[in-house]
Amino acid sequence: MDIRVMKPSDIPHVQQANITNLPENYFCKYYLYHALTWPQLSYVAVDVSRPPKTPYDPPKIVGYVLAKMEEEPSDGIPHGHITSLSVMRTHRRLGLAEKLMRQSQRAMAETYGAKYVSLHVRVSNTAALHLYRDTLGFNMDKIEAKYYADGEDANCMRMELSHLRFEAEEERKGIKDQDEGDEVGSAGKKDDDKKGKKRRVKVGRVLGVGDLVERNESSAKAG
Amino acid sequence: MPQPLSAKDGAAFRQVVKLYELKQHKKALKTAEQILKKNPNHGDTLAMKALTLNAQGHTDEAFSLAKLALQQDMKSHICWHVYGLLYRSTKQLDEAIKAYKFALRLEPESAQIQRDLAFLQIQMRDYNGYIESRKAILHARPALRQNWTALAVACHLAGDLSAAEHYLKTYEDTLKQPPPRTDMEHSEASLYRNVLIGEMGEVERALAHLKTISRNNLDRTAVMEMRADYLLRLDRKDEAEEAYRALIVRNNEYRLYYEKLEKVLGLDRENPDDHAELAALYTSFLEGNHRLDAARRIPLDFLRGDEFKTAADKYLRRSLAKGVPSLFPNVKALYSDDFKRTTIQSLVEGYTSETQADGEDMPQHTNGDASSKFVQSRLYFLAQHYNYFRSRNLKKATDFISQALEMDPKSPDYHMTKARILKHLGDVEQAAEVMSFARELDTKDRYINTKCAKYQLRNNDCESALKTMSLFTRNESVGGALGDLHDMQCMWYITEDGEANLRMDKLSLALKRFKCIYDIFDVWQEDQFDFHYFSIRKGQIRAYVDMMRWEDQLRSHPFFTRAALPAIKIYVMLHDNPDLSHGHLANGSIKLEGLDAAERKRALKKAKREQERLEKAEAEKREAEKKQTKKTGTGGDGEPKKEDPDPHGFQLLQTPAPLDEAVKFLTPLLEFAPKNITAQNAGFEVFIRRNKPLLAVKCLRAAKSLDPEDPVVHEQLIRFRRSLDSTSASPIPDKVAQVLKSVSQDLLPDSTSLTAFNDAFMAKHASSAPHVRSGLRARGYLDASSKERNEEELLATLDLVDLSLEDTQAGLELLGEWKSSKAVQDEYLAKAKALWPEATSFKRR
Repeated sequence: MDIRVMKPSDIPHVQQANITNLPENYFCKYYLYHALTWPQLSYVAVDVSRPPKTPYDPPKIVGYVLAKMEEEPSDGIPHGHITSLSVMRTHRRLGLAEKLMRQSQRAMAETYGAKYVSLHVRVSNTAALHLYRDTLGFNMDKIEAKYYADGEDANCMRMELSHLRFEAEEERKGIKDQDEGDEVGSAGKKDDDKKGKKRRVKVGRVLGVGDLVERNESSAKAG
Repeated sequence: MPQPLSAKDGAAFRQVVKLYELKQHKKALKTAEQILKKNPNHGDTLAMKALTLNAQGHTDEAFSLAKLALQQDMKSHICWHVYGLLYRSTKQLDEAIKAYKFALRLEPESAQIQRDLAFLQIQMRDYNGYIESRKAILHARPALRQNWTALAVACHLAGDLSAAEHYLKTYEDTLKQPPPRTDMEHSEASLYRNVLIGEMGEVERALAHLKTISRNNLDRTAVMEMRADYLLRLDRKDEAEEAYRALIVRNNEYRLYYEKLEKVLGLDRENPDDHAELAALYTSFLEGNHRLDAARRIPLDFLRGDEFKTAADKYLRRSLAKGVPSLFPNVKALYSDDFKRTTIQSLVEGYTSETQADGEDMPQHTNGDASSKFVQSRLYFLAQHYNYFRSRNLKKATDFISQALEMDPKSPDYHMTKARILKHLGDVEQAAEVMSFARELDTKDRYINTKCAKYQLRNNDCESALKTMSLFTRNESVGGALGDLHDMQCMWYITEDGEANLRMDKLSLALKRFKCIYDIFDVWQEDQFDFHYFSIRKGQIRAYVDMMRWEDQLRSHPFFTRAALPAIKIYVMLHDNPDLSHGHLANGSIKLEGLDAAERKRALKKAKREQERLEKAEAEKREAEKKQTKKTGTGGDGEPKKEDPDPHGFQLLQTPAPLDEAVKFLTPLLEFAPKNITAQNAGFEVFIRRNKPLLAVKCLRAAKSLDPEDPVVHEQLIRFRRSLDSTSASPIPDKVAQVLKSVSQDLLPDSTSLTAFNDAFMAKHASSAPHVRSGLRARGYLDASSKERNEEELLATLDLVDLSLEDTQAGLELLGEWKSSKAVQDEYLAKAKALWPEATSFKRR
């Protein structure tokens, strides 16, 4: 099972894996929205051993993590969010969910300077709870009552990513090149936040992408 | 020129535009009406009114009003722009482009119109037009980086890579100092430039350029991957090795990295002399990595003989002890190698006395739990092993899964496998029941729910399947559970439901589902539109280019093919037998065969009446539901959703030109999946009926070059030659006839006797049921008196070794096609039942 970044051409089967495994579903454009806004953050687990039957057979997706950056964080701190994560029942116990999550988290810290990552999980989903808390090290943040369409509460969980940011920074210091940008350190970090805000694009309502965001946020919850 | 308005009305007009943009359609209309009261011929106001009406769903009215607006004011760019927007909303993009171009001619400075035009051009892949538009936009606002990047993307997509790089560089050169490293747009644009250099094949320069940007680039993974790739291509071995090792440290479950590392090290899996070194390499990655699978599993791909056996033994024991349920799916790819398949089989069969693992780095269990886990895992593995087509022995599979179930009677996974075995035995009815039982063991898990619905569909029980699905869908959306599955683009369900309906001869519903898949592909194509704007603004260029390339090949996806092929089949059936278009006839409840003209007429009339009754009942039911729910629901896209006026597909089925409809499915197939032989087969069937012999023969040639021995190709070849020989039916122009003659000569020389050709084919493929059927069919065309002999030989196919269930069923269908006597069919059926005693499809006959 390969773990690699999600490409737009993976989307039909990611969508299929999602609707096969989970009650919260999204249409193709919402996946595209993730893949085209934060292309580094979503990962797939691919069964590469399956020989294709025709030259057109896409890779067989057996798991995925669909992730994003929170666009307007209420606490003002840049952080990532896991929109959806699932692994086919036939491919469990291989540690795929953990491996997918770790890749995504590193990209959040490295590429977008995420300070932490958050997610929602059904209070009844003990297997997922175990993965997030015990394997990955998430903490319980709070309970959001009736988060899901069927009335179930959600556990809001979060995990600090500072160690990943530190690693990325250390690694960067080791690279020499000619294109010296701003100073790193506190000055750079301040700038980081400022730029983060500047970078945030008002999504075009006229063009429907703005609608897309809102719509899906609600459909995600309602699903 | 826009017609003048009084100051007050002018303000009101601006208000209309604003209200429209705020989606306050009612207020917008009201204000427009006020202006029109005083200025009834004001083109721009009429146009805005049209636009608003369109947004409310009154498309026809909007179009006629927009035309009226243009008549009043041909020189208004607003009127033309609105006209373009209307066409855009009805997806007539060519027309929209024309209208925008008129608007732009009248108002060359309008950035809005220029941009709208540009997006349409790229959506339509009018690269030259897009480049021109992008140049105009850049000219108007050269300070904006995204305008430079967008022009570069336009050139790139059009294939002009050096122009693309030139524009990126031109902007970069204007930068007095490098932007801060948190500038995502800069980070991405410089990486994009590097991709372009790489794609131009200038690897040395690409590597040098990458060095200048790598430290501050935000996409570390991409930078590291590109660098490693360049180093490998430049044969800088030491650095490349280091680069790939660094990537493996970051992600050790990505085979591409390992493969490249092997390449760097000059190791070749095909060369047995390298195997020891390769094995050592992979072992070196295992240290301290308990959870790593790739480095354990990859050596099984290349190792052979005893080395394979030793490695496989270790791998299997370890996974069995851990109780990894995906062990079988993970190793079955090795089964194409006979030695590996039998080795794995005897290894796992041999673990009878094992109660626990003795693999490396496994904690030694001594308690009973661990040992029973091993035993169960082994049974589960063997059940799957004997259920797999390459190692199939359904009796053994049944035995092993029963043993596993005895140990754990509540395991959903074991029940799922049991259901799968039943399915392969042909007992789709029991398979669905067992799967349903499995579902009830874990009702929170949608995966089992999905499988259960799928098995119910395989059992042609569409009603139960939908009920099962509805346990996880949003049933309050318009159309209930099915409506939600449409909204969420649940391709597999829609397709399987269509296939089930087709099996039951419910052609209208089947067609309805396949058409739905077709429509979802249209939506997916439309989905890219917003990103032409959005991605450029966000600056994520490489992902955008990836998307564009995927969209260009969108309909090559098997989801499309799988729905298109049966849809084409239905349309061809409709062409051959137009009576089928009366839904009730098609579902098999009335048979027309063997009726005389008068009876036939009566039967048809009755069928029509019955259908009208059904449609009326359906309409009333919908009306009642509407009253009950009152408020209009919304679809997945948040827009008010219209009721489907044809939920059963009756109107679809009654198309006056079925072959035209077939072509709509066929064209993308032949364009995007030309190497799919079944698509070429279908193309032949459609074109031969449309009297397009040249196109038909093109498909035939393509299919033959894909597989000269394909049974369908054989049969079509004979039919084609026969149609040429009897040109009296449809006289074709001399030139065409000449071309056809010469092509046909290539495919099958004139001197060849068709009968001899067919006999030779049948002799060559006597042990393959599909080939035998094809030969028998062909013989039927060539010699009408051969029927009895053909039937006998078809019955004889039941004695073939390893005859599949599908082939057994296909033979029975062929007897139906031949209208064979009941006695013959019964004889076949009796033999088929003996071969497949569990098979539902024979039990039900």
